[in-house]
Amino acid sequence: MTTATPHRNPLSAGVPRAPSRPAVRAGPRAVLAVIGAGVLATVTLWWYGTPQVDPGLGDWLTNAGRVTGLWAGYAMVVLVALMARLPPIERGVGADRLARWHAMGGRYAVGLIVAHALLITWGYAVTAHTNVVSQSGALLLNYPDVLMATVAGLLLVGVGVSSARAARRRLRYETWYYLHFYTYLAIALAFSHQFADGAEFMTNLPARIVWGTMYATVAAAIAWYRFVTPARQALRHQLRVLAVHPEAPGVVSVMIGGRHLGELGAESGQFFRWRFLARGLWWTSSPYSLSAPPGPDGLRITVKALGGHSRALAALRPGTRVVAEGPYGALTATVRRRRKVALIAGGVGITPLRALFQSLPASPGDLTLIYRVGATRDAVFRRELEQLASDREARLWFVTGHRADLGGDPLTAASLTKRIPGLARHDVYVCGPQGMTAAVTRELLAAGVKRRHIHVESFEF
Amino acid sequence: MRRVIFAIVTTASALVFLLSFKTHSTPAAVASPPSASASPTPGATPAATASAAAASPAASSASSGSAATAAKTVTGAVAQTIYGPIQVKITVRNGKVTAADAFEYPNNDPRDAQINSYAIPALNQEAISAGSAQIDSVSGATYTSQGYISSLQSALDKAGR
Repeated sequence: MTTATPHRNPLSAGVPRAPSRPAVRAGPRAVLAVIGAGVLATVTLWWYGTPQVDPGLGDWLTNAGRVTGLWAGYAMVVLVALMARLPPIERGVGADRLARWHAMGGRYAVGLIVAHALLITWGYAVTAHTNVVSQSGALLLNYPDVLMATVAGLLLVGVGVSSARAARRRLRYETWYYLHFYTYLAIALAFSHQFADGAEFMTNLPARIVWGTMYATVAAAIAWYRFVTPARQALRHQLRVLAVHPEAPGVVSVMIGGRHLGELGAESGQFFRWRFLARGLWWTSSPYSLSAPPGPDGLRITVKALGGHSRALAALRPGTRVVAEGPYGALTATVRRRRKVALIAGGVGITPLRALFQSLPASPGDLTLIYRVGATRDAVFRRELEQLASDREARLWFVTGHRADLGGDPLTAASLTKRIPGLARHDVYVCGPQGMTAAVTRELLAAGVKRRHIHVESFEF
Repeated sequence: MRRVIFAIVTTASALVFLLSFKTHSTPAAVASPPSASASPTPGATPAATASAAAASPAASSASSGSAATAAKTVTGAVAQTIYGPIQVKITVRNGKVTAADAFEYPNNDPRDAQINSYAIPALNQEAISAGSAQIDSVSGATYTSQGYISSLQSALDKAGR
């Protein structure tokens, strides 16, 4: 049990240090290549499992239905794997990009599932010289496990609809989050019809073994990284809230202490998924960045009240137990390639950059932080940042004001080049809402910064 | 929105591309293990000369009535298809095929059952009308049709037609 010692000045806590062991990274291109190879493998499976396609509507529809079905079955595995918190992918691709891929791929997969169902029903109906309605009946009643698969498909369509942007604004984050658990049920329900009815699997035992192994592996990864590992970490580190400090209107910092924190291997710029075991909070975990370099005696997060969860953090009592999943995030010192570094923060995106601003090794004059924020009073860490800038002889720029008042986005290629001499020779870390990071990335490219020197993390929700 | 259209167009083109490479109107020959099922029954039976059928001449000729109007029932050889074996039985009277029926055909899963529930009657009807094995495949049941035709040919050969 750690005593709650107020940790008002975390500046002393952070010493730049290398991670304990070299972390394996799987970059976005490598991951996409693996996913693409899997798509080719499913096509090959269909190719060798199909002696020929007869000319004519029926066989064309049926085979289009088979291919979309195989793709859908594969897509579900990929979608779950992207969210399995596999450490190399979390580090190499970044949780924000993974979430975007997952959202995009999810919509696509739901489209594939719907297409598969419609094409197979229509194709079978044409071949059997019957109508779509009676064919649907035959499929549901006579074909093994198709009824279960149909329920699964409807569940997935429901999850897809709940995730659609428009619906998500009307749904609470927590509701949406829990609806997502139905995907596990849907995948389980839909699994057996692939082998019972799938032309590519019925007579092909090796294909069934490979396909089944793929599903089992991803299921094991989910169980291990999302359930077993957090539970083990919780037992090992015994994290508790040490203190809660208000930083700015609607922004609080939470200090968290525990045992053996060095073993976590956390770095500045990373985040954990936090689960606070307090009433109304315990059932959901949310990603928050470390807002100070992780030290042996404490981790600090800083949270802006965006949703119900982040607002409730202000009321946390010291001593509350915390379960942390992580560390995650690719926005660390390891991706840096150049001597000079610029950090560009948008809004609450300051948190990981605030930690990097403190811990990135840099000579006087090599480090610049640009902090874009709507109004001066919303700027968090103002005093800390000024202190750090003067200690480290780093440049610090607050860019305040709303776009409407400023007559356009203030962070243009021209203004950035002017503010950061030799910008093209910098590594640039960008963190903020997705619209902001996309705009800044565009401007940086226009200003001559190479894409490989731009390190972005954005957050939505 | 542009992304959605791109995804749909790409997927549809990929499907059309794939399927068009697999589409052939002349199907590959039916796989036929020639010796495995050959168990000749005693008795003088005409050798099956069907192109692809596995030779298991189990021709059970039965005759009834006078010689002129003798109705002969002949069983064709088993034809192996990728979905399973097919065997056709025909009745010949006065040199004319009066009945044809596949009494064995793939029926293991609902898809086979569904396809063959319309393909087999259609093929039976075609065989009676044509009186020969020169019949069209039933669309959507290429392999069943091929097997049917080859077993039918073998039955016709045995019936001496």
